[in-house]
Amino acid sequence: MSGVVITGWSTVSPAGVGRTALAERLAAVAPGVRAGASGPVEPPRAEPVDVAALSDEPLPTPTGHALVDFDVRSHLGRKGTSFYDRATALSVVACGDALRDAGVDLDDTNRARLGLVLGTSLGSFRSTSDYTRETLVQDKPYLVNPVLFPNTVMNCAAGQAAIRHGLRGVNATVATGSLAFLDALRYGSNAIARGYVDAMLVGAVEEFSPHRAWTTWLTGRPDQPVPTGEAAVVFVLTRAEQPAWAGVRREAEVLALATAYGPGGGPAADRALTGCVVRAVRRAGVDPAEVDCVLTGETGEDDTDEFDPACAALGQVPTRIRASRLFGRCDAATGGLALATFLASAPAGDTPRLALITSRSPEGGTAAAIVRGWPGAGASDR
Amino acid sequence: MNRVVVTGLGPVSSIGIGVSAFTDGLREGRSGISPIRSFDASGFPHRNAGEVPGFRPEALLDRIDVACWGRSAQFAAAAARLALADSGLDPAAVAPERAGVVVGTTSGESVVVEAVTAQQVESGFGGMDPDLLRQVPAGRLAHAVSTELDLAGESLTLATACSASNYAIGYAYDMLATGEAEVMFAGGADSVCRWAHAGFYRLGALTADACSPFDRDRSGILTGEGGAILMLETLDHARARGARVYAEVLGYGVNCDANHPVAPDRGSIAACMRAAHRNASVKPADVDYICAHGTGTPANDSVEAQAIFDVFGDRVPPVSSIKSMMGHTMGAASGFGAIAGTLAIAHGFLPPTINWANPDPALSGLDPVPNTARQARVRVVQNNGFAFGGNNAIVLIGAVE
Repeated sequence: MSGVVITGWSTVSPAGVGRTALAERLAAVAPGVRAGASGPVEPPRAEPVDVAALSDEPLPTPTGHALVDFDVRSHLGRKGTSFYDRATALSVVACGDALRDAGVDLDDTNRARLGLVLGTSLGSFRSTSDYTRETLVQDKPYLVNPVLFPNTVMNCAAGQAAIRHGLRGVNATVATGSLAFLDALRYGSNAIARGYVDAMLVGAVEEFSPHRAWTTWLTGRPDQPVPTGEAAVVFVLTRAEQPAWAGVRREAEVLALATAYGPGGGPAADRALTGCVVRAVRRAGVDPAEVDCVLTGETGEDDTDEFDPACAALGQVPTRIRASRLFGRCDAATGGLALATFLASAPAGDTPRLALITSRSPEGGTAAAIVRGWPGAGASDR
Repeated sequence: MNRVVVTGLGPVSSIGIGVSAFTDGLREGRSGISPIRSFDASGFPHRNAGEVPGFRPEALLDRIDVACWGRSAQFAAAAARLALADSGLDPAAVAPERAGVVVGTTSGESVVVEAVTAQQVESGFGGMDPDLLRQVPAGRLAHAVSTELDLAGESLTLATACSASNYAIGYAYDMLATGEAEVMFAGGADSVCRWAHAGFYRLGALTADACSPFDRDRSGILTGEGGAILMLETLDHARARGARVYAEVLGYGVNCDANHPVAPDRGSIAACMRAAHRNASVKPADVDYICAHGTGTPANDSVEAQAIFDVFGDRVPPVSSIKSMMGHTMGAASGFGAIAGTLAIAHGFLPPTINWANPDPALSGLDPVPNTARQARVRVVQNNGFAFGGNNAIVLIGAVE
C-alpha cells in the first residue's frame, strides 16, 4: 500500500488557518529549524494560551492549545454553518483550505472520484454529551433539538464536509483516537490503490471543549500535565500518476503504512511497534539509516514508548519531534500535525527527507508510516 | 487478488445469540422487541427497543475483563468470540500479525458516554470517573476484539454510522484480497442508548411498538443493539485448513450523497448499488435477494425502493428487512444483514419482513417476503447499508462457485 502522493494540505490549529500560519508559527518557536543545515532539530515546547473564552463551564486549567478566536462564519459565511459543532467547523474549513492549497479543480465530472476520510476519537464529545445531558435535565427527556441529533454521530464532520465541498466518493470516519490519523492515511491510500477513487482528502480532527479538557486532565499523568489541544489537519492524497484535477504539485509521498496490535504496554506492545516500523521500512524500500526524523505521539522527555522501539527498529537515533509539545494533546489529530510539521519545516536544501511517524493507543494499537518529503515544496511559494 | 470467504458467524442479537439461535430467529420471523430496560424510559412516549436482555458477557468472553470495557466493546468481542468458535479455526495456526479486526459503529461506547454525562450533571465535570473516561474512545471496540482473540494484526474501528458494518466488511475484504492479512474479523456493534432514542423520537422517526418496513402504514424505526461479526479469510487459507465455507464476499461499494445529513438520496444510492455490482462483477439479474437497509421510516423505504427500481428495472429480486425483527441496531445493522445474507445462501431461505400488513401502492413491484421466511435458492445477496452523513455502503455476498 504505497505510491500515493500529497499534492496539498492545510491545518486549522492554534497557529491559525492554513499552512503559511503553521510555517510561521514553527519558525517563530524554532527559528533554527529551517536554517539547520545539519538536519532537523526538535522545536522547543510552545506556550499554551488563555482558553477561558471557549467554555462557560469551569476548566481544569486556564490555558490550552486552541484557536480561541476561530469563527466558522468568517471562513464559510452563515449559510449552512449555524448548526455545525466545533469539530465539524474546524474540519470543513480545513478541507476547503486543503483543496485550495492543492489547486483541486472539482466539478461534476470528477466529484464522485474524490473522497474523504477523517480520523477522530469519538466525534464531538461535547455534542454527544450535551445531547445526553438534555435528556437528563429537561422536564421531558425527549425535549432535545432534532437538528442537533446528527452532530452526536461520529461521522458528522465528514458528512458535512462532503456536503459543503461536494465530495461524492468514498467517505469514511476512522475512530481510533491517537492512531486515527495514520489509520485514516491507510484507509485513504487503500481506497486510491483499489481504484475506488482517484484522490482522497485524508485528515483528522479534535475540538477544544470542557469535555475534552477535563478528560485530558482527569486521565493524564498528574506529574506531567499536557495542555489540551485542538486541530483539524487535512491532506490531499492522489495516486502517483495523478489526474491533473487532483493537484499538479507533488510535495510528499506516502511510501508505506503498517499497523499492529500488542496490548499490555510492555514488551508485547514494543514488539508490535518495532514490527510495524520494520515492515514499513521494508515496504518503503528505503535504507533505515536515511530516516531523518521520527515524529511520535509522546509528550515528555522521559516518555519514550514510541521513540525507543522505533529507534531499535531503525538501528539509529534520528531527531525526535513531538507534535504534542507544540500543539498540546490533540489525540486523533496528533499524527496529522506531526506530518504537517514535517512538511512545513522542510529545509531549503535539495535532498528529499524521510520521516517515520508513529502512533500508539493505550490499549495496544500501533501504527507507523514512512513519508518522503520532497525539497522545495514548502509554504514559501503559496 | 485473493478470493475472500465467510467461514464464521457471530451474532449477538435480540432474536438470538450465536449462529444457531439467530438462524432460528430469522426462520421463525421472531421479534426481539421488548420494553426498554437498559435506561429509565418512563418519561418517553415510546418505550420499546431491540435490546439484548439475555446478553451475559462473562459467559461468552474468555480473556477480557468485563469491568474494563464498555457495553459496545463487549458486544463486539463476544460476537467475534462466537464467530471464531463457529469457524473452527485454531487461532494458533495463524500468524498473529496476519489476523486483524475491523469494527463498525454509530455511537461507540454510548452507554459509557451517558454514564459520565450523568456524573457531570450530578457533580460537575471534575466528578467524571477517570476509569469510565478511559472507556469512552470508540477505537476500543476493535481493541476489545483484538485483546479477546489475541490478534496482533490491524485493529480498526470505523464510525460511519448505520452503514459502518458494511464499511468494515468491505475494508476487511480489501485487506484479504490484497494479501495484507489472512484472517479478518469484521462487522459492527452498538448499544441502545437514551440519546439515540430521544433523537430519533424528536426527528419523528421512532415508532411505538412494531417496525413494519415497506408496509403502507409503516411509521418508523425502533432502536436496537448487539454485535455482529463475521470471520472472513482468503479462500486459499480456508481450503488449506479444510474449513466449512458459508459464502464468498464478492465485493462492495461505498459513496457519499454529499447532499443532506439525514435525508437519503435516491440517485446516490442507485449509484452506490452500481458501484458495488461493478466491484463484485455482478449484474442486477444475478442478485437473488436484497437484504434491505429497510428502516421502516416512510422516507427511507420509499427512497430505497425507488433506487432499487432504478437499478433493477422490471426484475426486482425479493427485498426484506430484518430490522422488522431486531430494530435498528445502528452500526451493527449491516453486519446483521451480512450474516442474514450469508445464512440465506448457506441454508436456502429468505428472511422475512415481519409486522407487514398492507402493500404500499407506491412500492408496487416490491416483494418484501411478508411475515414468513421463504425457501429459495439464493446464489447472490446484496446487503444494503445507508447512514446519516450520506454514507452509503453495499456488500455483495455469493455462493462459492
